[in-house]
Amino acid sequence: MSAHASDKFVYHEPGLQHQFDDMGQQEESVGIGMWFFLAQEIMFFGGLFTAYLVYRSKFPMAFAAGSNHLDAFWGGFNTLVLIVSSLTMALTVFYAQKSNRSAQIVLIILTMIFGATFLGVKAIEYTDKYNHGLIPVAGWNKRAPADPAAAHGEAKPCWEVAHGEEHKYVNPRGEFIWTDCSLVKQAQDHNYLTESERNGYFSSGQIDGNKFRDKVRIFYYLYFVMTGLHALHMVVGLFLMAWLLWTAWKGYYTAEYYMPVEMSGLYWHFVDIVWIFLFPLLYLLGRHFMH
Amino acid sequence: MQSEAVLTHPGEKKLNYLTNGTTLKSWLLTKDHKRIAIMYLISVSVFFMIGGMFAATIRLELLTPASDLLETGSYNKVFTEHGIMMIFFFLIPSIPAVIGNFILPIMIGAKDLALPRINLLSLYIYWIAGGLALYALMVGGVDTGWTFYTPYSTTFSNSYVMLVGLAIFINGFSSILTGLNFIVTIHTMRAPGMTWFRLPLFVWAHYAVSLVMVLGTPVVAITVLLLAVERFAHVGIFDPSIGGDPILFQHMFWFYSHPAVYIMVLPGMGVVSELISNFSRKKIFGYEFIAFSSIAIAVFGFLVWGHHLFVSGQSMYAGMVFSFLTMVVAVPSAIKMFNWTATLYKGSVSFDTPMLYALGFMGLFLIGGLTGLFLGAMGLAVHLSETYFVVAHFHYVMVGGQVIAYLGGIHYWWPKMTGKMYSEFWGKISAMLVFVGFNLTFFPQFILGYLGMPRRYAAYPPEFQVLNIFSTAGASVLGIGMLLPVIYLVHSLIWGKTAGDNPWMHPGLEWRTSSPPPTENFEKTPVVTWEAYEFGEESGLDLEEARRRDLVTVT
Amino acid sequence: MSEYHGDELHIGIPGYLGVFAVLVVGTILTYSAATYDLDFIFPGANTLLALLIAFTKMSCVMLFFMHVRWSPRLIWLAAVGSFFWLAIMFAYTMQDYLTRSQGVFSAN
Repeated sequence: MSAHASDKFVYHEPGLQHQFDDMGQQEESVGIGMWFFLAQEIMFFGGLFTAYLVYRSKFPMAFAAGSNHLDAFWGGFNTLVLIVSSLTMALTVFYAQKSNRSAQIVLIILTMIFGATFLGVKAIEYTDKYNHGLIPVAGWNKRAPADPAAAHGEAKPCWEVAHGEEHKYVNPRGEFIWTDCSLVKQAQDHNYLTESERNGYFSSGQIDGNKFRDKVRIFYYLYFVMTGLHALHMVVGLFLMAWLLWTAWKGYYTAEYYMPVEMSGLYWHFVDIVWIFLFPLLYLLGRHFMH
Repeated sequence: MQSEAVLTHPGEKKLNYLTNGTTLKSWLLTKDHKRIAIMYLISVSVFFMIGGMFAATIRLELLTPASDLLETGSYNKVFTEHGIMMIFFFLIPSIPAVIGNFILPIMIGAKDLALPRINLLSLYIYWIAGGLALYALMVGGVDTGWTFYTPYSTTFSNSYVMLVGLAIFINGFSSILTGLNFIVTIHTMRAPGMTWFRLPLFVWAHYAVSLVMVLGTPVVAITVLLLAVERFAHVGIFDPSIGGDPILFQHMFWFYSHPAVYIMVLPGMGVVSELISNFSRKKIFGYEFIAFSSIAIAVFGFLVWGHHLFVSGQSMYAGMVFSFLTMVVAVPSAIKMFNWTATLYKGSVSFDTPMLYALGFMGLFLIGGLTGLFLGAMGLAVHLSETYFVVAHFHYVMVGGQVIAYLGGIHYWWPKMTGKMYSEFWGKISAMLVFVGFNLTFFPQFILGYLGMPRRYAAYPPEFQVLNIFSTAGASVLGIGMLLPVIYLVHSLIWGKTAGDNPWMHPGLEWRTSSPPPTENFEKTPVVTWEAYEFGEESGLDLEEARRRDLVTVT
Repeated sequence: MSEYHGDELHIGIPGYLGVFAVLVVGTILTYSAATYDLDFIFPGANTLLALLIAFTKMSCVMLFFMHVRWSPRLIWLAAVGSFFWLAIMFAYTMQDYLTRSQGVFSAN
């Protein structure tokens, strides 16, 4: 150890790191650090929102159609789950500031339960997409060979497929399947297609189901990347909560030292905020076209 | 305050950050910002050498018009790797991670950075990313150009795009954490009396750089991530054949990569401010202007990325907006130039090695910056895009600017970091070799570009050969000029003269502690009562000593 | 830095529950409003309403759960600044896409 000019005994508050003079400086530094980290996270997700913005402005009908196949009920449920978990997280910080160890532990566990519920629902949703050929990667959907015995009538053109019409799921190669472009017809009749759509959905003047499917696939690609990245952040959040639970159990957090709880809370709330935007932008897009 | 002379306990030599702990573990697990800086110094130097070898290969190939040394596919890999190594693994970390990490806390009177473990994490991430990039290099490299334009990179390239993309993604976090650390440190760790407007301009420059790092780098991270997903899954938003838009990639890529060039050059400007003031023995002219212009460059730098997309298919009207803003962003840089010149005016200028580099920066950055304006004008951009004019422009600002500032900074703070003085004679020789070699390498490229030679081509029409030969000759001189410092700086570590605490007689805080500094930087926390760059008795400068060394101060 | 430790308990349990109620109401509101076609007001009205509700919810979380309301000015600046930067990215990217095929390049 280096020789210090003043080797006097100096009282150090518990948890004070060597580079800081006092706890106030440490708390201020950690707070600023965490907020700037969140700022960069905002820019990180922001890139995805930019891509979403560009494609939605180009192909709104494809996005509306894709959005309608997402289950808004589960999305809404997940939104509420995350909001409750945000509440329990905020209360965890509250009780840490009051040095209440048992309340902290209960609330952290609750937060983790809600976080896990969120991920569980996401698993349900993703499985549903798998079963319906909505995962945008070829080969990653459930394979269902065509029934050779079934009658092969003339396939209906995609714009005449009525909403909610159930047809047998046939997907021999596990590709991305999309057969319903009725929204395009609706938009064309009412004359609200964008310039990109007037070129992007049509071949030789007719609605081209494959081209429309490609645009809807972009919606699902963005859906999976955005919710997937969000879910990944949620998983990291759960690990963070596990660490917090362990250290809270050991009684580390009191009114004098609760910054780690507050900082974990900031991260958790951030993940909640991202979802607050993802939900309406992904799930609620085109529902007003359905009525 | 001589480094070895004072003994605290009888028979015990005072420890400095280098001698305080000598095991490998004490270095690899250190929380000391100075040790982390030294490890960065070694790492970036390695990457600089590797990037330099690629540069040598490029110049050798371009000696002859035919693609005879390398075939086109290999040439593509060579220039791509040159760009990636130099930009991501050398230029972006260089001054902030080496000089910033070492000197910034000492300059503000702090014991360490605010978040030392994050600093160490930043270094580890850099090593992992660098290792991954080197591995990708060895298994076959990448040939898309450092800009990774789609759909070539997503669909058609047969090289290791995902691996290198992953390396860049990881490296981004090293950058972000360094920037984060600097922002927090500058806000909370300043010594008593060190107000914002008493901070050295080096600190202001790094504050601005850190803002850019934190706000811009995540966007390239997500872009590269999307690129990797698209390449892997054959679905995405960048390949037109599956409905994507390649220009969106370019928007997202350049949203970061343009501010990245300011990440590269702003620290250099911070160094130059220090050097110009010191070697004119004069307070810097227009302190507030330079400070605010750093912030202005950081902010405005985010508004001009479209000037990389002039010929890509971007809307002409958007192009006009970006073109106008490109002209605007040149203004703060110009303000700095004028202020540095005014600092030199009636100063007592001495031509030590760091000053040679600083003056070189001013001239070369001027040329580079002005040619940037040529490229920012849409009409000219149509003619000059994708030619050697662009290559010459960015080498003037990045090498003529940043690398030269980096060399100047390394020489200037070498006595502080190592306690040894390098050979001034060899320093001056190298500086001049670098300046001459650099101009000989890159000035002909302006002409080549204007005459129409395209960039990224292994073969070119024979009428361009003469200028290419000049360029390669210059590159050889430049290479020698860059290698010499390695030799004499390492030599100085062992046989160099011991430097005192303040060899340059500068009033800055970093010169008020021993060379090399102790682990906790200062024996006693300094209290600052003087303004920045005050070369006088009020700031506690030993004028007798200065007079003995023939160093006048100009007030 | 004693003023940093201000009124740490801030709004107390009733306050947090109140914010929670606002968030839940906002969610239900956005969910049901999405089913009504508001395009008669102007195209994109649905989206605007959804974004307004989302912004309100986000502000509640940021100000009260994340304690920004009681945080130093720098934190406010970091929070607001990052959204401003996001806006720069959106606006300057969209200015390209929205002005293509305009003026002399339009199909008309």
